Amino acid sequence: MNAVALHRSPWGRARDQLASVLMVVGIMLPTAAFAQALSIINGDVTQKVALSDLRAMSDETFTLYDPYQGRDVEMQGLAFRTFLIEQFGEVPPALHFTAWDDYEVTLEGWDDPSWYLITAEEGDPLTIRTRGPARLVERDYTNDNRDVENLRDFNDWIWMIRSIEARW
Amino acid sequence: MTSKPKPTDQPSMQPRALARQHRYVTWLSLSLMSFLALMVLMVYESRWVYPEIQAYFSQTGNLTGQQLSTRARVFLQDAQAELLGDQAEQDALDAALLDIELAYGLADMHIYRREYACAESSLADLDRLGVQLAARNIDRFAAVSMLFAPIQCLTHIEMDQLDRRGAAINDFSESTRQHSQVLTYSSLLIFVMGLVFWWLHERQLRRADRATQETFEWMQRAMRDPLTGIGNRSALHQDVLAKQHQTLGLILVDIDFFKQYNDACGHPQGDTLLRQLATLIGETLEEAKLYRLGGDEFAALLDCPDVATLKRYCHQLMEGLREADFPHPAHPDKKGVTLSVGGSCFVADEATFPYAYEAADKALYQVKTMGRDGWQVTEDA
Repeated sequence: MNAVALHRSPWGRARDQLASVLMVVGIMLPTAAFAQALSIINGDVTQKVALSDLRAMSDETFTLYDPYQGRDVEMQGLAFRTFLIEQFGEVPPALHFTAWDDYEVTLEGWDDPSWYLITAEEGDPLTIRTRGPARLVERDYTNDNRDVENLRDFNDWIWMIRSIEARW
Repeated sequence: MTSKPKPTDQPSMQPRALARQHRYVTWLSLSLMSFLALMVLMVYESRWVYPEIQAYFSQTGNLTGQQLSTRARVFLQDAQAELLGDQAEQDALDAALLDIELAYGLADMHIYRREYACAESSLADLDRLGVQLAARNIDRFAAVSMLFAPIQCLTHIEMDQLDRRGAAINDFSESTRQHSQVLTYSSLLIFVMGLVFWWLHERQLRRADRATQETFEWMQRAMRDPLTGIGNRSALHQDVLAKQHQTLGLILVDIDFFKQYNDACGHPQGDTLLRQLATLIGETLEEAKLYRLGGDEFAALLDCPDVATLKRYCHQLMEGLREADFPHPAHPDKKGVTLSVGGSCFVADEATFPYAYEAADKALYQVKTMGRDGWQVTEDA
């Protein structure tokens, strides 16, 4: 077994590499199939924003301490306030979020430039496994007296966002 | 009879009154501060307790109130249900894979990796299972069995987190109980202190009232002749000042041969005569205020528009005395008690009063030099 393993034929190596690629693609494909777009709901109108478009719009890169990961993380995303104005014409008074993990919440106070919609971390697109495909973070939370050891203080960092509905 | 009235020094009570007032303010302030402190304490305690309660219980009943490990475990159990369900293999594997991905996202927490040894291996198991499911090279039952270890780990995390949460709530409960005791006792203490300070304040107020009353009575006594009950020289001066710019009549009355009366009848009888004469003058000159200026000297002060009115009063007085007919066993002229009366009219003022007094005194002196038992009024005082 060892010899076989040490002296693999080029065909064998190619087969292994193909298998690896297939496995990675296999993992990514179902995820991609589940989460390919972000739904934007405004009254009766539902608009799908493709994740590829969302990633293309992610023009901000910054490093932030992520209390869930316990380390500084380089994040790519877009200013959420600007995104809301583009989608709804103005910042709605409240937003109703639904997430892939069945979480639902309605929150107010989004006319705040410190919130960012993150689509990638460390150069990799967010997946459901990495609490994507889109996630809200507050870029400057140091003034809010949040304790990074108390994750409940970060409940408004909404994960795995599936849809955003304007509540007027 | 020639002595002029001197301005009476008013008793000076101001410094003591101020000091006393300062003390009342202090007691009152302490009392109010105590009640204020009580309110501050209660507000502080309620503000301390509320955020703590909110931290522990505000999210109870909603999804964020659940632990991430609980939610991850439920997704893994859902994945097992999908794998063991009746649906088509492709759909079952896709659904299970999504549940496993979601569980991975919820379980992949720094705090779990740091605190629980099983977390890393469980995440690695999930990772491996995900690859196998995606490649479709694992059967459903094997996949289900591969999920047991991560579920067991997540259950362990859940239990431990629940224990920690329970311990934290117990600590909070104990802390709240201690704070409650401190609040109860300190509130009681502060409340009692507030009551004591208030009682001291009330006591001081009563003392102040009593002192003011005593001062007032003392001042009244200082203005009164103790024998006859009428005013004294100070009262006369004060009353004149109180009637500034009014036209007044001043009548000075001197008992003739009063020393002889005393010698004959004794001083107690002399005192009785003084009281009787005070009553007589008061009844005869109804509108006048009476004063005793010395041993046998009285003064009457009354509104008097002109000298004629003053003369009428003097005449009235002499008539009244005659009618009373007080006996005088030692009168050199064998008469009853007789009076020498002098009067003057003046416009009340601090400056004019000494002149009016002098004029009335001169008139009285003239009566005496003319043989007593009569009256005279100075026309141009």
